[in-house]
Amino acid sequence: MPILEVKNLKKCFDKTDILKGISFDLEKGQTLSILGSSGSGKTTLLRCLNFLEKPDAGEIVVNGETIFDRAKPVTEAQIKSNRLHFGMVFQQFNLFPQYTALENVVLAPKLMASADKYPEIIEMGKNLLNKMGLSDRMNNYPHQLSGGQQQRVAIARALAMSPDILCFDEPTSALDPELTGEVLKVIKELAIGNTTMIIVTHEIGFAHDVSDQIIFMDDGVIADRGTPAQVIDNPSNPRTRQFLSNYHS
Amino acid sequence: MFFTVTMSLLEGFLGTLKLFILTLVLSLPLGLFISLGSMNKNIMVKGPIRFIIWVVRGTPLMLQLLIIYYGPGIFFGVPLWGGGTDGRFMAALFAFVFNYACYFSEIFRGGIQSIPVGQYEAAAVLGMDKKQTFFKIILLQVVKRIVPPISNEVITLVKDTSLARVIAVYEIIWNGQSFIKSSGIIWPLFYTGVFYLLFSGLLTLLFSYIEKRLDYFR
Repeated sequence: MPILEVKNLKKCFDKTDILKGISFDLEKGQTLSILGSSGSGKTTLLRCLNFLEKPDAGEIVVNGETIFDRAKPVTEAQIKSNRLHFGMVFQQFNLFPQYTALENVVLAPKLMASADKYPEIIEMGKNLLNKMGLSDRMNNYPHQLSGGQQQRVAIARALAMSPDILCFDEPTSALDPELTGEVLKVIKELAIGNTTMIIVTHEIGFAHDVSDQIIFMDDGVIADRGTPAQVIDNPSNPRTRQFLSNYHS
Repeated sequence: MFFTVTMSLLEGFLGTLKLFILTLVLSLPLGLFISLGSMNKNIMVKGPIRFIIWVVRGTPLMLQLLIIYYGPGIFFGVPLWGGGTDGRFMAALFAFVFNYACYFSEIFRGGIQSIPVGQYEAAAVLGMDKKQTFFKIILLQVVKRIVPPISNEVITLVKDTSLARVIAVYEIIWNGQSFIKSSGIIWPLFYTGVFYLLFSGLLTLLFSYIEKRLDYFR
């Protein structure tokens, strides 16, 4: 059984169709990268999965459990618990400026636990930051960290909620090439460690390396879908070929 | 003579201080309440509130004091505040609280709306509800951003309290001016400036301390 099934997802803003019926599924432990030009709907797709946007039609199934079905309305409380299946890493990091790196990571888990669990939550937070290579940065505030370090804190913060699926929305687009490398390295390690991930990215080479599955989106539909070898090395769709030609040359 | 004047001005300054403190304590929460109303999605809530803010900010506070004090008696035949010292003080307090709450509400609105939407989204995907998001994430960032404009308003309020004397509320200028009639000297009136200056200096120090305390994040 796939960990995630998306069925015929649709979303429009002001009568412009952004997603025109997206369907795909993802196996546990696999990495899916979504490529496509700006405006193709890839970020909107990610935001629908995290309930930051409400889809106009379609179904989202996680572990066989339908967590969103447009036909059946959901309450605010259900959205709150359902969205915890997904973690989200934003392009602009969105760390909380008044909290240290460690506080950013443990804040949400602590809000959901009783006080006697705090020591183990803090221990878990430290472990996650260690894994991100930030053991000496735990007590720094976001403004004292580089962009790459901030993004790695954001990844640790998302992992701290133990989501089934971790989503990345162009995680390196706000970083210079040097800092991009350190963030991609961390994501690659997560892929090797079998974290289930969906990555919206413009880093074609990176997507080729880490992904089990690639989706190429164009104008609100999935234009191409398959393994990196199929979609990136031998694209069948002319639109995909055209998009990739800008990168290869 | 200097001692007599100083004691009289100190007494007047207590009146100033009373009006100042009560206005702050009441208008800050009322201002937050008004700002939430002015950001309401419903035009039936937002519209009237924005209209009231426009009127209050668009007319002189001195005029508002006169209308609030004399208005009920003149227009409705109900002298709401009575003629006594306490009644005049209550009318002045009402006018000040209402006026400053409107100014504060705009500062709060600016502060709340300046927080990037990414902060709300980050909190939401971490499973926080609206209350947790506001109190754990948003509020302190708003406070940090509004300290400088709030301190501006607070220092203006110290000096605006002198307007209350148009409805014969006793405060420091009133006392200073009384020496012109009683003793034919004008320097006590000028001397009141020292009291204002010292007090606003104290407030300036207080606000720069608060700003420093919030300096640990950006």
